[in-house]
Amino acid sequence: MAWRFLLAILLGGLCYLDRTAACQLMLHRPLVVATLMGAVFGNMAAGAQVGVVLELIYLARLPVGASIPPDDTGAAVFGGSAAAIASSSIGLDAGSFTALLLLSVVAAEAGKAVDRFVRKVNVRIARLTAESVDRGDMQSVEHGLLAGLVLFAVTGMVLTLVFSGAGVVVSQELLPRFGPASRGNFAILLPALPLLGAASVYSCSRTERTAPVFFLTMAAVFGATVLFRWTA
Amino acid sequence: MTMPALAPRSRSAVWRRQFLLQGCWNYEGMQNVGFAYAILPALRDFYANRPDEALKAVKRHLEFFNTQPAMGALILGASVRLEERVASGEADPRAIGTFKVGLMGSLGAIGDSFFWGALRPMASVAGALLALLHPLLGIAALLLLYNGVHLTLRRRGFAAGMEGPEGAVGWLKQAALNVRTDDRKLLAAILAGAYAGVFAGRFFVQGGGVPHALASLLLAAAAVHLFAVLFRKAVSPSEILSFLLLVGVLILWR
Repeated sequence: MAWRFLLAILLGGLCYLDRTAACQLMLHRPLVVATLMGAVFGNMAAGAQVGVVLELIYLARLPVGASIPPDDTGAAVFGGSAAAIASSSIGLDAGSFTALLLLSVVAAEAGKAVDRFVRKVNVRIARLTAESVDRGDMQSVEHGLLAGLVLFAVTGMVLTLVFSGAGVVVSQELLPRFGPASRGNFAILLPALPLLGAASVYSCSRTERTAPVFFLTMAAVFGATVLFRWTA
Repeated sequence: MTMPALAPRSRSAVWRRQFLLQGCWNYEGMQNVGFAYAILPALRDFYANRPDEALKAVKRHLEFFNTQPAMGALILGASVRLEERVASGEADPRAIGTFKVGLMGSLGAIGDSFFWGALRPMASVAGALLALLHPLLGIAALLLLYNGVHLTLRRRGFAAGMEGPEGAVGWLKQAALNVRTDDRKLLAAILAGAYAGVFAGRFFVQGGGVPHALASLLLAAAAVHLFAVLFRKAVSPSEILSFLLLVGVLILWR
């Protein structure tokens, strides 16, 4: 298990760097992160299932100006690792799947709080950089940026360790305490989650034509799905 | 005064360094350290034998700066060109600050709307749909759809900026990002409708005839509408998920 955590920390650190500090190539998106964590902890497909739902849920919150959206990367680290572990122990039934998706909100909010803290520490780094430049040291700009990058990377690694550890503990210790019947009751909430994701995209893609286009496509695809299931 | 030259190696360094614009993002100067870091190789070329002026130039770029990171490439390119003019005595140093402040807000708004409000949702929902077929297919679609446009706009924006502020403004007009934003938003809405339809069909129709299917569709559409209304009223996804988690705990308690 130790090497799995080590690999998760390395990959998580890279994904967290992509989130704010470097590149923004979307390597930090829940679909990518949850699939990676699923693969690291033994079941890529289980991680991807979590990623497909989490990918859209937080899109309604844009990283505009100084506002910090919930940490969907952290939610994916938790959900992906937990889903992979659950699939190899109690099985990833609908109830466990729903519970993991809902519990991931704790990781998303905790990660957001840590992100705020990092940016406050960066104020100190930026001030020190400016003071060094005032003293004639131009190279301090490079040192300041490196310090910021290291802070973002280390924080990402620590968050990955904490969230993936929490995912493993939840799947190994918490979920098995509830029997299949109890978990089955939890599954009643599952249909709301992908619809929440679709609503998230719908609300941030608003134009004059969004509503008719969205609901007509939804009806057409729903009809096709139902027909396919009836005829299959 | 002769025009100081920007070495090709320094131009490449500035291009690479723009990807770390947010490397030291902070609440006070926001992207200031990242911007100064990115433009540093150019400043070293322009003020090669003038350390005092080089320091003044670095301080200029440690002022507050914040824009959408991909759009920062355009401002960075144009700032390099302006610094070149300042170094050769053709322009006033204050013009750089005025130019950056004048452009970062409007480009930030355009970039936020295009990248975060249109391109990313479109790529995300396309990736999520294709991941239902195979996870790696979904990831590839998400990364290619987003980065194909993202990296192209960064490259073209930087090149246009390097032609000077006039080139930057000309490129902005030509790029017509507002039209592209609406197109991507519409495509995102279509794909999100398909996503909602797939999941509504999977979860809701467990048996029954046409009336049952129609009721399921209406229920799913009403749920999407309710969530969208809540988002418009500034309720966050985390608050909705927390409420659902509470409902789940109550169900378990029962």
